[in-house]
Amino acid sequence: MKLSTIRLQNFRNIAEASLEFGRGRVFFVGANGQGKTNLLEAIGYVSALRAFRPGDNRALIRDGAGEAGIGYVLEHERTGRSEVIVRIRLRGKEATLDGEPVRRLADYLGRFPTVLFSSGDIQLIRGAPAGRRRFLDLHLAGCEPGYLEALQKYHRALEHRNRLLKEGGAGSALKAFEREMAPAAVRLIAARRQAMEKLGGLVEAFHGRISDGAETGTVAYRPDVEADSAEAFLALLAKNKMRDVQVGSTQRGPHRDDFAFRLGGKDAAIFASEGQQRALVLALRFGQLRDVRERSGVAPLVLADDVLGELDPVRRERFWAALEDDVQLFATGTTLPGNAGEGQWQVFRVEAGVFREA
Amino acid sequence: MTPAFDRLLDVLKRLPGLGYRSAERIALHLLVEKPESLESLVAALREAAGSVRPCTRCGNIAEGELCAICADPNRDRASICVVEHVPDLIAMERSGSYRGLYHVLQGKLAPIRGVGPDALNIAPLLERAGSDEVREVILALSNDVEGEATCHWLSDQLAGSNVRISRIGFGLPSGGGVVFADPVTLKSALEGRRDYL
Repeated sequence: MKLSTIRLQNFRNIAEASLEFGRGRVFFVGANGQGKTNLLEAIGYVSALRAFRPGDNRALIRDGAGEAGIGYVLEHERTGRSEVIVRIRLRGKEATLDGEPVRRLADYLGRFPTVLFSSGDIQLIRGAPAGRRRFLDLHLAGCEPGYLEALQKYHRALEHRNRLLKEGGAGSALKAFEREMAPAAVRLIAARRQAMEKLGGLVEAFHGRISDGAETGTVAYRPDVEADSAEAFLALLAKNKMRDVQVGSTQRGPHRDDFAFRLGGKDAAIFASEGQQRALVLALRFGQLRDVRERSGVAPLVLADDVLGELDPVRRERFWAALEDDVQLFATGTTLPGNAGEGQWQVFRVEAGVFREA
Repeated sequence: MTPAFDRLLDVLKRLPGLGYRSAERIALHLLVEKPESLESLVAALREAAGSVRPCTRCGNIAEGELCAICADPNRDRASICVVEHVPDLIAMERSGSYRGLYHVLQGKLAPIRGVGPDALNIAPLLERAGSDEVREVILALSNDVEGEATCHWLSDQLAGSNVRISRIGFGLPSGGGVVFADPVTLKSALEGRRDYL
């Protein structure tokens, strides 16, 4: 997939911009706070109609404007030239794909995949399990049919169950919601297991290419519970019910799933250095990129937010080597990538939300 | 605008389906543009409030003990179609393809909104399902987490009675092509497929 044009209106600090992309590698250069990441975020918005940085819609709309707009023209492997238009308002957003309104996110997710490499990715290793689940859920919602539906169903039924537990969990309704949770939970666990096995292999391969250490780097699924049938999951809920009632919420289940980064067989969150951790998350993003591409047949757009600057020259060289030539890359930085060579990049200079092609 | 007008607006905009703008239009219409329609509206509201009440058997709207459907001797008394609300019943009736009786639950289980079994019109249904003439209970509740959970719950509640319990199918809209259906609907349609004769 290639993004050939993006138009922005009142998106974050960008009043108006219309950029055309020709070459495969695009670089946005400028001082901090000028709008480089905002543009990258606008590009990434096309995937799931959400921004990669947290916050409500108000933060996405330029001060004083009523709404923000983004228009995309994409060349897609399967659907050819596609046009997506997004309007973001204080309350809610609207999107059209080739003029047709997007009514359900589930039908849209995964059509225009992007993979973001960001300096914040290291939090995937260091941070709480919720961040890793979010990574896994976003990845699978985009490329595993039925995953988002199961995820929404599970969480909705879980919310109802938790409310009933807070009320003592005695009524006849508890079981009814558990029976809605169970098949969804089994589906989530199976999909996550399968995806993590594949990602584990990909991470190991890419880690070998990026890092120079002899140690193997990989990721491994850490399911909170094992259940390969709805009956098994219902039995688990029954077993834990007393404790759940005491605490007032469901203690065990896929909503507590996690995965671990491992380096040389050890937990990378504890034993790996910062440089080793960076190499591991890079490998995870490369693995994600490859997995999306193999599952969907669509090459995701690659967004690299300020990651090239923090790599040493050797790693940077390996980063380029690991990236397939035909993916389109959008990178940001405060200085131009030194060794990239003239003419290889399409460069835009960014100042106060204004983009000028260099 | 004026204290009384604002109070009226406030009451109107709480009604289902009305926002601020439609409340404003209705209020202005009744007070300024067509004040003559106000009397008949008030009279109709008063009359309806005095005579319309839930059918004691099924929960549909009625003016006597029983609603028009429960009182109709030509309806098939062997089957009961369970719906959430009266508008669902009206939609089923409009289809013209069902000749049995109904039962209106007046909602579906939704603990996070405070709707538990006690809030549902369930006791009369259990009583009806226990009678000899009823053979089938059709669950026509919505196809979301709350609707499905309510179906699980109902089938537990009905376990003691000797009735067949069925669930309405979910699939393609009539006259619709496969290509226009969303993936979740297609999945339901495939799961609900049947032998073709």
